[in-house]
Amino acid sequence: MQKIASGWQSTRKLRAVWVAGIVSVLAFGVSTPTLAQEDDVGPKYDIPTGAPPSPLFGAQPFTQPMMLFEEFGTQPIPTSNCTNCAPLPPPSSCSGTPNSAALDSFLRQPLSPLPTREANVSLPSYWATAVGNCVRPLASSAVEGRPPGEWFAHQRWEEFFPRVYLQTAVAGARTNTGLRDSAQRHRYAVGEFRRSGGLYYRNGTTRGMQVRFHPNFPVQDTNSVWTFDGTVPPKLLQARYGEPILFRNHNALPVDFSANNGFGAHTLSTHLHNGHNPAESDGFAGAFFFPGQFYDYRWPMALAGHDTINTDATNPRAGAPDGAGGVTRVRGDWRETQSTLWFHDHMLDYTAQNVYKGNAAMMNIYSAVDRGREGLRCNYSNPNNANLCLPSGTALDWGNRDYDVNLLIADKAWDSNGQLFFNIFNLDGFLGDQVLVNFTWRPFLDVRARRYRLRILNGAVSRNFQLALVTQTGQRVPFHMVANDGNIMEHAIPFPNAQSQDLPEIAIAERYDIVVDFSRFAPGTRLYLVNRLEHRDGRGPKETIPLAEVLSGEYDGDPAVGRIMEFRVQSYGGVDRSMNPVMYEPGGRTMVPLPAVPANVLQTAVRRDFEFARSGNTDSMPWTIRTDGGNGMGADMSVVSAAPTLNRWEIWRLHSGGGWQHPVHIHFEEGRILTRDGAPPPLWEQGARKDVFRVGDDPTGHSSGEVEVLLRFREFAGTFVEHCHNTQHEDHAMLLRWDARRPGQVVAVPAPIPDWEGVYYEPSVDLPTAVRN
Amino acid sequence: MSWDRAVRRVGYALAAVVAAMAGQSESASSQEVRWGRSYFPNVVLQDQHGRSLRFYDDIIRGKVVSINFVYTTCTDICPLDTAQLRQVQQILGDRVGRDVHMYTISINPERDRPEDLRRFMRTYDIAPGWTFLTGARADIDLLQQRLGLRPVDERNLREHETSIVVGNEATGRWIKRSAYESPQLLADLLGRVLHNYGPPVTSTRETYAVAGEVTDRSRGFYLFRTRCRSCHTIGEGDRLGPDLRGVASARSHAWLSRWIREPDVMIAERDPTAMALLARYRNLPMPNLGLNEAEANQIIDYLRREDSAATSTQP
Repeated sequence: MQKIASGWQSTRKLRAVWVAGIVSVLAFGVSTPTLAQEDDVGPKYDIPTGAPPSPLFGAQPFTQPMMLFEEFGTQPIPTSNCTNCAPLPPPSSCSGTPNSAALDSFLRQPLSPLPTREANVSLPSYWATAVGNCVRPLASSAVEGRPPGEWFAHQRWEEFFPRVYLQTAVAGARTNTGLRDSAQRHRYAVGEFRRSGGLYYRNGTTRGMQVRFHPNFPVQDTNSVWTFDGTVPPKLLQARYGEPILFRNHNALPVDFSANNGFGAHTLSTHLHNGHNPAESDGFAGAFFFPGQFYDYRWPMALAGHDTINTDATNPRAGAPDGAGGVTRVRGDWRETQSTLWFHDHMLDYTAQNVYKGNAAMMNIYSAVDRGREGLRCNYSNPNNANLCLPSGTALDWGNRDYDVNLLIADKAWDSNGQLFFNIFNLDGFLGDQVLVNFTWRPFLDVRARRYRLRILNGAVSRNFQLALVTQTGQRVPFHMVANDGNIMEHAIPFPNAQSQDLPEIAIAERYDIVVDFSRFAPGTRLYLVNRLEHRDGRGPKETIPLAEVLSGEYDGDPAVGRIMEFRVQSYGGVDRSMNPVMYEPGGRTMVPLPAVPANVLQTAVRRDFEFARSGNTDSMPWTIRTDGGNGMGADMSVVSAAPTLNRWEIWRLHSGGGWQHPVHIHFEEGRILTRDGAPPPLWEQGARKDVFRVGDDPTGHSSGEVEVLLRFREFAGTFVEHCHNTQHEDHAMLLRWDARRPGQVVAVPAPIPDWEGVYYEPSVDLPTAVRN
Repeated sequence: MSWDRAVRRVGYALAAVVAAMAGQSESASSQEVRWGRSYFPNVVLQDQHGRSLRFYDDIIRGKVVSINFVYTTCTDICPLDTAQLRQVQQILGDRVGRDVHMYTISINPERDRPEDLRRFMRTYDIAPGWTFLTGARADIDLLQQRLGLRPVDERNLREHETSIVVGNEATGRWIKRSAYESPQLLADLLGRVLHNYGPPVTSTRETYAVAGEVTDRSRGFYLFRTRCRSCHTIGEGDRLGPDLRGVASARSHAWLSRWIREPDVMIAERDPTAMALLARYRNLPMPNLGLNEAEANQIIDYLRREDSAATSTQP
């Protein structure tokens, strides 16, 4: 009380902040113009949404190093059953979690039981006893939560039989014990991860790291943050084409739903965004699993076009590093090569809360063209070489991360105790007032004076960013965008350019890979990543704030606008063997060209229309998607809104009315943007393939009311979804189900109904326009 | 008092509230209070019998609830809302009032007094266990806000948010759902999901081998399923409204099409058939669901197809 009251005595600005915060407590859940706004003491918005400002506990910005992603590591799939492996350790109580040491021991064991084509329902849930005591006695249960039988059996199982696996458990926050130290490919021994002189050695372990966003802040409670392993740093999967992966995700969350510190669901579904994966391993929102169960996701790591293009696997650009300087060639279209992906929870109704709570990881795919190894038969020295030699490092044959850094950016809020907070009642979209990078609050990152690749992911719930990279004096730092979403582009796009001075707007789930040359700056220089995009509520971004206004401190609106991280340039003694992106600008060499399209595709493609709006076009109606001019519908996992046939070209028109913005995500397949409002898309969406498409309100000029996307689904069938990736919109319930069907398939996949006792099915129904002949 | 000082005074009072909330969350284990007593206003409402109930203590505390907002003179979406929820109540049976609690709150409280609520319930033939409530407008607006709904001005009642909020106060699990959603899904949420999937699955399940035959893909069927079926059957007897078996031949196409599109206008014009139907079905008016002529024709075509299919399969 004392502290709050004294706030009122200080400057007008500070008072305005308090008014905004307090008014929002009153008006919880609904965006209302604040009293302060009318009083004209500086516009303050309801940010964080429905809560007072997040306290900073005296922390100063740029005083802690940024956490770097920790590699999951993969291991060869075992060939025989483990005979003495222990089960997932039981929870300490109905609202408790497994003992931390026991969980680590469990995760260290070999994969057991061995994976099966159909879901493993021959063994009971690991926690059948606990569930029986806490919920109800179970007549049956299954150790695997994947829906049973043929519908969710792994497609083409023998053909893409997993060669490697990783297992993790989604668990409450706990101290990292260094479980994965030995799985780091650099082993804290080489390049910038080496002990002597490496920038990123960091004691050579993650042991002892607690979940907290800054050393000044309190440690997060077990149930405030739920992550893979229950630990930080955030996790990274390094994968290779041609090496199918089995990802066993155990659910070690509390049996009692209410043990969630105010938000998050303990049932899970993990979506690999946007892998070329069969539906049973896509993380379908309705195929979720319970505490005490696992779900086996099998990711084939196949190039799209596997069945029709380069079927003799002779193209040297279609392949993956073999670990010994060569390339293992694979079938498929190398122009479909993907690079920067992520996977995250996709639980029906709970994606926003669960991803916000920490259930997100990144995935870098390595290939012949994107090897993560510079200086090895580089394309820049001979155009016949596949390896683009993007900045990475030279110590390892592939997957060097010395100069290739993943950045997960997300806004958060925390309560007066420093515990992560989410307003479950605001469905316009939830905004935090503080921006974390890799779960660290306003960190710094030491970088060498050389080229870097930064893989930027917007991991927010409802916030878009527009990022500038500037010097201490506010001068823009030039850079190139080399990949948009999961895909390396035809050409590297230089920034600033005629269409954008800074990195373009990045919506939720979008990714931009950029190459920055820090060698332009003397050691000791400090650079900043700055967010310029203002939100006033979760409906969509409002306006781009002039850089000068942001940097001078003159701007005091949205608290998430401003500097979010610092780069500290250090001297570089090595030789930069990475590509110079200038060579790959439009007009120069190509990186990854777009796949070929038949000349008459615009005439022959199947066309579908999806309108993202409030039904009835009023703000008071629920979020819906209107398919092909039909009725606006909310999510219903038993209704198939579109049923494209494999191998056929489709053009999907996505659009939305004004006032709101929806970043639309189509699962399974990258689309090519044909037009935005009838015109060509901006530079960075030309020669690019996308999996997130912004439609609706467009204050930055980087988006449009409508977008036309060219798609084709291949190799795998089943039940997928399409939704708004403003995850609060998605959860309530701007999501639709679409099914990819094999030619001649006339039976819809039934809708799974998961339960503690197992998964049931209910019939599905097609919308009248779902099937086109 | 200047505006500035007024703001400050309100601010002090609220700061105390904030501090009290912070104190509570410190002292409580986990955060049961986050969406509990300190969040939901304990405002007093009146039920259809005129009894006073406190929102937090008497209506939601420790319960699984569904809450929606209507006004009794509504002629478009509210009737569909209510009919859908009535189906939910039928699916859940005697659990309603026992471990699932259904509440409908008036957003036109000056107009809707307890006797109006009782009349509305009679019209819809609402079974016991489902409570209708009215109260003070400011309180009801506040409730809507806290539940994540946008209150509307009394002049814009037609624009009100028709979502159904379902939740379990004890576990802090709250979900907003559309009125168009299938009653089965809502019943599953209320009866199973919100109880931490406690009660076993009870509805008849088909095995995956036989499920999922792609059925009628016509738009007429889709419209019937989402807009008509909560009140009507085809050949299975009356629900809230009449059984529609044979209606496509019993009435002229023009009359039926118009009745589907603008029943409110026909009632206002005192169309004799419309008035007879009204009298026969507890004065429950057929709602105007905003369907256009093409949609009405699709529904009529669907009804015809169903009739002829029934005739052709008769021995």
